Amino acid sequence: MVWKEKYKIGVDLIDRQHEELFGRVTDFVETLRSPVPWPEKVEKVNSTLSFMKDYVVAHFDAEEAYQQKIGYDKLDAHKKIHSAMVAYVSDFASEYEKAGYNEQLVQQFAGKLLAWLINHVTCEDQKIADFAKRKGEIGHEG
Amino acid sequence: MKGEILARFSAATREVLKMMLDIDVEDASLEASGAVAESVEEIAISIGLTGDFSGETDFYFPRGTALEMVKIMSGMAFDEVDDFVISAMGEISNIISGNATTELSKQKIICDILPPKIAVGDKDALCPCGKEVSRSIQTTIHTSAGDVSLAVKLL
Repeated sequence: MVWKEKYKIGVDLIDRQHEELFGRVTDFVETLRSPVPWPEKVEKVNSTLSFMKDYVVAHFDAEEAYQQKIGYDKLDAHKKIHSAMVAYVSDFASEYEKAGYNEQLVQQFAGKLLAWLINHVTCEDQKIADFAKRKGEIGHEG
Repeated sequence: MKGEILARFSAATREVLKMMLDIDVEDASLEASGAVAESVEEIAISIGLTGDFSGETDFYFPRGTALEMVKIMSGMAFDEVDDFVISAMGEISNIISGNATTELSKQKIICDILPPKIAVGDKDALCPCGKEVSRSIQTTIHTSAGDVSLAVKLL
């Protein structure tokens, strides 16, 4: 997953977290796609998955706190998008564990996550930046 | 209304691909109603539509297009259409459809989308079973990652 400067929204905290998130998803996907038989990599896949999953939740919380602070007018809608993704990740984790760490399930999950995250950062989160710029908040996020 | 629906989906496809993949996207070429061009291997994704109208929007990603798009997103080379690639294309189709229906709602055309149905190399499997499909119109969008076709089918 390639991080690009153009993804930055101009809020240091959020930009740093997005870059970190891209890094963690990259670690997860690279481990998952490595040319190693599944039994030999499942443990590492699970640990990178867990590491990435925890960060997703922490990042969403921080991003919502920032939106609250600047009075973002689409906060409720954005929260719903985050909640739906957290629920999806949680449901996947349960199903994946119940299925005995099935490779097909995690490949499907990773493909969707990759596309979802890129769209979320390049489209949805840019709307926060537009709002913050209009309110003169960019650069004053503390 | 069918022209407006296709126009919205076509515009949403161009916008989403440009934003997500940072690629060149040419204006769509509208094609006569009929079968989408055959491709030996392609991912066909059907998103059901329900509300002020019913039907589906089908997205067709040829193998080369899908592999290139996933490579752009992940920064990694992919040489086969597998569960990861199919799922990523399904999510892109879902995002496009969500954006298109949001735009339609601004024109008081209300429609919800249904979860994607996916087939690889078998577009016939995507037709709604036992229902007459009519008013199918289609378009192909040319991008620097390859072509993407879409068809709007209203019941």
